[in-house]
Amino acid sequence: MSVAPTKSRQTSRIRSDGTHEGFLAHKSYRWLKIALLLAGLSILAYVLIDQKPRANGGSALGYTLGTIGALLILWLTAFGYRKRKMTRGAYSLKGWTSAHVYLGLSLIVVATLHTGFDFGWTVHTLAYVLMLLVIASGVFGISAYATLPQMMSNNRDQMSETQMLAALRAIDRQLHDAAQPLDHAYAALVQQSLDQDPFGGSIFARLGGRYGGCATLHAQQTLRVETGPQVDLGHDPLEKVDALLGRKRAILSRVRKHLRYKALLEIWLYVHIPLTFALIAALAAHIISVFFYW
Amino acid sequence: MSFIIRQISHTAEGREIIRSTTHDAPEIFIGRDAACAIHLADLAVDLRHARISALSAARISVEALGSLGFDVDGRSVQTADVSTTTGAELRFGGHRLTVAAEGGDTLITVARVVALSESSEERDVQTLYTLKGKLPSRRFAAWALFLVTLALFLAWPIYTYAVSHGVKDRGAGFHADQTWTAGPLSAAHKGLANNCQACHVNKFEAVQDKACVACHTKVHDHADVHRQLRAKGPPGEDAALKARFGKAEGRCVDCHNEHLGAGPMAQTPQKFCADCHMGMKARLSDTKLGDVSDFGTNHPNFKPELLVNPETGATEKRSLDGPVSQFTGLKFPHALHLSATNGVARMSQTVNGGKTLVCKDCHTPNADGTRFLPITMEKNCQSCHSLAFERIGGTNRTLRHGEPDQVVADMRAFYRAGGPPAALNLSGIARHQVGGYAAQVNAIPHAWPGGAVAAVARVFSKGGACYDCHTITQIGGSYHVTKVVQPDHYLTKGWFNHAAHATESCASCHAAAKSNSANDVLIPGIAKCRDCHVGADGAALKPVSTPTRSSCALCHDYHRANLAPWRARGKPDPK
Repeated sequence: MSVAPTKSRQTSRIRSDGTHEGFLAHKSYRWLKIALLLAGLSILAYVLIDQKPRANGGSALGYTLGTIGALLILWLTAFGYRKRKMTRGAYSLKGWTSAHVYLGLSLIVVATLHTGFDFGWTVHTLAYVLMLLVIASGVFGISAYATLPQMMSNNRDQMSETQMLAALRAIDRQLHDAAQPLDHAYAALVQQSLDQDPFGGSIFARLGGRYGGCATLHAQQTLRVETGPQVDLGHDPLEKVDALLGRKRAILSRVRKHLRYKALLEIWLYVHIPLTFALIAALAAHIISVFFYW
Repeated sequence: MSFIIRQISHTAEGREIIRSTTHDAPEIFIGRDAACAIHLADLAVDLRHARISALSAARISVEALGSLGFDVDGRSVQTADVSTTTGAELRFGGHRLTVAAEGGDTLITVARVVALSESSEERDVQTLYTLKGKLPSRRFAAWALFLVTLALFLAWPIYTYAVSHGVKDRGAGFHADQTWTAGPLSAAHKGLANNCQACHVNKFEAVQDKACVACHTKVHDHADVHRQLRAKGPPGEDAALKARFGKAEGRCVDCHNEHLGAGPMAQTPQKFCADCHMGMKARLSDTKLGDVSDFGTNHPNFKPELLVNPETGATEKRSLDGPVSQFTGLKFPHALHLSATNGVARMSQTVNGGKTLVCKDCHTPNADGTRFLPITMEKNCQSCHSLAFERIGGTNRTLRHGEPDQVVADMRAFYRAGGPPAALNLSGIARHQVGGYAAQVNAIPHAWPGGAVAAVARVFSKGGACYDCHTITQIGGSYHVTKVVQPDHYLTKGWFNHAAHATESCASCHAAAKSNSANDVLIPGIAKCRDCHVGADGAALKPVSTPTRSSCALCHDYHRANLAPWRARGKPDPK
């Protein structure tokens, strides 16, 4: 039995003025304030507490900051499981996301002070660097989520992904038919265009949106050598194929842009999540090693 | 014989459509051209690609017309003879032609087996636009990185620990547990960089003292351990917890911290000393030591070890806060010798090229410049305080310094040999009086009346050569000269290096020019030191223009008496 959301529930997500409140501004930046408080207290303690012989992770403050940092990291990681359950209310997923972002950023301060600015080629610095990389990838993710959807929407121009695929198939069918009367050399060029996977290309092509050996472009350029100087009288199959190749290029361009935006929206997770696991392993090694060789 | 062409195609819904045509001809053509009997709408096929001719009732020949070949049962060929009874599978572009016999005719079934374009193939729109397949999956990458990191930075170092347990020297090269280092070792322990196990003996056990004393065999405890713990005060609330993890109180590493960076080992912070010595009298009531927490603000005045009896070597420690004096056995007024105007000055000017006496004329630094060589009669005194009594040829005969019995014997012998042609010239200081006075006196016959006994008595009595400088007692018929002891330092629990203070003049600390008695103690009090030296953190009781921050370790050594503290020596700690 499905229950339609009641109006009162809606108000927690949609503000009274009807505007949407993103996870960054959740509850008037509640988690930003908490994160700033945590960072501020850490800095204050670091400055005020005299650490002899010098600041490092082994002092009382060092252990305290380290414990806070390690627990934060584990809690932030739990977000990966938490986010799969979408809920509302005081512990809404949006609230968790907001806390994940701001507390994650506060780790930069907490963990840096925990290091006492003592770095080296050690497992300890490895854990720290991995943490920074995870945070940096997260920051990239937030900026991607903030900017890309609008660009994506503009590019898609109301087309869904299924429609884009259907458009590609339609143009391929038309190309296939139109190229039937062509000589083998031209037919082969068109065939290359048909055979090239619009969703192929390396990860770098995806992220950069640049596809060097585009067979459709190559086919059209080669055909143009022939069709260019001619007058289009409307009955040369080459002219028809040329026009179709032009249309395919247009739709390909849109698809490739879409693929690029999608890749940029996704790529940070390929860094964020695996490096989080590497970080947890390094963190475990860091903590165990400290007590192993006490 | 006829060719039956059966074309199979599919509707958009996937339903199969089969169309058969029969060609009653000896040969038919395969191609993209619609005029061909087997018309393949396939851009990979030539307009007229191949010709099929009947060779016999059960044999056909397939022959490519252009440069493009075709496949027969997977092999690429230009021509092929095919038996219709055994059949064959031909491949032209994206089409498959199956040859078989049906009745007496040749049946060729044509089907498109490859989608006409890549996009036309079946695609999962859910994942088509994602990075799936472009990168290793996030789950795989996560677990792979997790396991690799654990293996490299946890398992491998633990393995290294296990195999190097008890090994004395692992030698140079990489050892996995070095990735666990908390920081570079100090210069003193640099040699241990390859041997974590030298100090970290047992797993999950804090570094124990026995690891330190395995090498440091010549250090002694600072004080009785029980007294030390009492001096430190009651243990903290976490002491029991720490002890459980092998972190008992009073371990070497409580003060000597390692892994704090390359270079000289970090000086033990003043705090570690002050932990016990601040307010210690309250906790250790029988201590003779004053409470200390900071040289600049809270440090008792010095208590030099002063000679009381040079004969027995008895000393007494007295604070410079009160009046102090000592007795070294010698009579030596510094003021008299340093005057620029008196007889000493005049004499010095005469024998010393016009210069009056200065400190360094007598006080020679020792080899390392820390302290001074002892004063000797021969080197420092007798150029003025001559013991010559007779000149024979060009040679002066002198009384033997330091041997009173020999002096008596020599003088008796001198008189026995006929007595002096002139009076024996041994009046000590007086004979050197300015203006040729001594020569005048000496010229008077019988100025030194009496025989040998009287002359000896005079030498050892007031006005005599020995008596001028020494304390002499007459016991029966013999004379006893009190032993002279020259302490080379007075502060026995602290360290002072004169070389380190070379920029200062002697007089800036030692009031020798005003000292009229050898009993004066000329080492300065703490106030003088505090003209420059402030506490470890810069604390001072008065403004100091050029402060020198001084922690305890600048002057004091913890483990060894009578040696410069490690920092003052400025070289690695000898074992």
